Amino acid sequence: MESILDGISLALNFNALAGILLGIVLGQILGSIPGLTAAMAVALLVPFSFYFDPWVGIPMMLAMFKGSLFGSSIPAILLRTPGTPAAAATVIDGNPLARRGKGGKAMHTVLFASVFGDSFSDIVLIFGAGVLAAVAIRFGPAEYAILVFFALLSLISLHRGSSWKGVAAIAAGVLLACIGLDPITGSPRLTFGNAELFDGIGLIPMLIGFLAISEVFRQLEQPVRRLAEKTITFSSLPEDNRLSGKEHRALLPTLFRSSAIGTLTGALPGLGSTVAAFIAYNEARRTAAKPEEFGRGSLHGIAAPEAANNAVGGANLIPLLAFGIPGDVAAALILGALLIQGITPGPIAFRDNPEPIYAIFAAMLLANLVNYVVGMGFIPLAKKVVSVPKRLLFPAVLVFASAGAYAMRGSLFDVQLMFVFGLIGWLMTKHDFPPVLLLIGFILTPILERSVRQTLILAEAADGWLAFVASRPVLMILLAALAVLTVLVVRQRLAMKRYGLPEEPVDSS
Amino acid sequence: MSAAGSGRALVACHAFVGAFALFAAAALTAGCGGQTGSDEYPSRAITIIVPYAPGGGGDTFTRAIAAQASEILGAKVFVENRTGGGGTVGVGSVARAPADGYTLGFVSSSPLVMAPNFLDVPYDPVQDFTYLSRFIVTPHPVLVGSGSRFGSFADLLEYARANPGRLRWSSAGINGAPHIATLAAFRQEEIDAAFIPMQGSSEVLAGLLGGTIDMGVISDYAGPLAAGDIRVLAEIGPEPLPDLPSVPTYQQMAYPLAPTIFFGLAGPAELPGEVVAAWDAAMRTITASDSFSSIAHRLSGRVAYLDHQEFQRHVLADIDATREALRLLGANE
Repeated sequence: MESILDGISLALNFNALAGILLGIVLGQILGSIPGLTAAMAVALLVPFSFYFDPWVGIPMMLAMFKGSLFGSSIPAILLRTPGTPAAAATVIDGNPLARRGKGGKAMHTVLFASVFGDSFSDIVLIFGAGVLAAVAIRFGPAEYAILVFFALLSLISLHRGSSWKGVAAIAAGVLLACIGLDPITGSPRLTFGNAELFDGIGLIPMLIGFLAISEVFRQLEQPVRRLAEKTITFSSLPEDNRLSGKEHRALLPTLFRSSAIGTLTGALPGLGSTVAAFIAYNEARRTAAKPEEFGRGSLHGIAAPEAANNAVGGANLIPLLAFGIPGDVAAALILGALLIQGITPGPIAFRDNPEPIYAIFAAMLLANLVNYVVGMGFIPLAKKVVSVPKRLLFPAVLVFASAGAYAMRGSLFDVQLMFVFGLIGWLMTKHDFPPVLLLIGFILTPILERSVRQTLILAEAADGWLAFVASRPVLMILLAALAVLTVLVVRQRLAMKRYGLPEEPVDSS
Repeated sequence: MSAAGSGRALVACHAFVGAFALFAAAALTAGCGGQTGSDEYPSRAITIIVPYAPGGGGDTFTRAIAAQASEILGAKVFVENRTGGGGTVGVGSVARAPADGYTLGFVSSSPLVMAPNFLDVPYDPVQDFTYLSRFIVTPHPVLVGSGSRFGSFADLLEYARANPGRLRWSSAGINGAPHIATLAAFRQEEIDAAFIPMQGSSEVLAGLLGGTIDMGVISDYAGPLAAGDIRVLAEIGPEPLPDLPSVPTYQQMAYPLAPTIFFGLAGPAELPGEVVAAWDAAMRTITASDSFSSIAHRLSGRVAYLDHQEFQRHVLADIDATREALRLLGANE
């Protein structure tokens, strides 16, 4: 108990609070610039932690990650350009809502969902890290493969447009993801001898290309006189610019479910916030009372990915604090900062030196509060920034997007890729191919391929398939659950046919 | 017009804040060394290219060096991350940079000694570089989970020999030095084991703790060892682990490859003598500093400084020995 209070007092001094405030502000700003991920910003900060007091540097890093996840959804909503890949799913419903003049409402939904998701996973981390980590560490390649199958299944259950166009889009995403070094043999694949392609196609140039650049091309098609129009107009009605108490309450079931999805994804190292956001979006749509609103500005469609991607952040620290295993880049950077300060995360830290851990918990909860308050101030500012004529804004988007694609790897090749993908994305949208499915195929393929192929080697090293499955209880449970879900999905598809529900394309405009 | 004007100003302001934050971070990272303005080296800012993403061990060490070097040399030293091709893209851009000492690079074992045997790399590690200094070597021990049935490396070998194809093991990265050296060791012991390719040491550690694999070869072992989650059975390098001197090394067991995994600094071929001299002096001071050795200790590395002459000889010998060992093994077909 004493160590808990000591820890809280470490986090509640003025310097730590200043660190949190600075982290949130920087995080929101950097997050809203496409291509500048929080991880890059934090990586630049790590050397400072050599000189900083640790109780300024570490709360600041944690705050930056939280701030950037909120910040990155602002351009996703207003400009169709996610600031970081984690906000890609937010584009699907956030942007249509903003086009109806309700950008303010969309941004308030994001802020509420982000802070909710963060708080949820932080609380789970504080009270349930031990239990969750003990379960999560039993997840090996076979279990990961089943999880990705879950995600793909719910994807199939959702797509209501032309079947062959959906399949074609996913297949294109899978094929693009195969470019690069083979994850098992390490030999180059589909690179045509180009060393720039050895590490595969970067997610950031791809996302910016498909979402932002294709939008610039679309704007080029518009008659010239329309380019003087404002990019986005904001309704002046107060109810379009805030989230009412009733709407807050209506979102709660989605928020709880999505935060739980994000927390579980985060507890498993390597899946990441982008994957969590898409899974949560799909789940929200699958269970929605009015699924037809999705893709047209549903508040649930905005809240689900945002709660999930923020929930990943706190949960990523679960394997870190339990075993010293960082769940993603963010956690790896925090691990680095802790090591530099002489703190080795893991069970030892809880036993011998728990104050820093409790201080981290206190700082995280505090950062959520600060994130909400600063976010409330950021929203009106963001509205002003985009309230300019299209002829001024879209060239600026082009510059930011190019800079963002370049900054990730310092590579002009990535900028060229971004423009190629922009062109492809524009053509796809014109001909009703869903670019979002291509992106999801691209994001899920590496995890699926690696885990399936690892599983094949593992099964060969065991006494055959049956012995392998029997030796992994978690796998048996997941396989049973997958079978049940498959039956449900097939029945849902059949029911859709029987009642002749109108087929609708996946609206990504 | 005024609305548009203020909007434009805000866009500009937005851009400015972002750019400023980055610039400030970069400038502060590099320290605040003044410029000398004369013809003496260095007369302007120096860039060190790190071929990996920000936040990794190599990146962290390079940034620490850049900060100290800018004070010693009296010029700004920037760090630029240019990733791709498992480090070969960034290393290649150092090889092609002008040989004036203003573009240098972080180099390590994998892209120089290992990768050229398996991939078409955009440089020749023998001819394209001036190797300035080695500053760190990292041990890569052979680990098992604390609940493992193997009490020693001999136990593990015995089990693997008796059960062909049953021992599951991994290392961080395919065709890296730990992977190839262990493969060579197993071949000499006539052991057939199942290598599960994994990405990064955290996946390997998770696999060990979760029972997905039986054995892992990674460098980040200090934390889990202190927590009692793992045991150390062997060390792949030539020198015994400082904290566990009784653990056998691949050298002691006379395996074909006992690689030293090093971090160093290099420039393009034929760097002027004054550049080499300036960095020899700077790196000697930096690696001897207390702050550098404490960073090394926390990142599970060991400070092991070699100057230009020794490092150059060392790298070239390493490249030859590895190529020869791989040829004998027939592992690089």
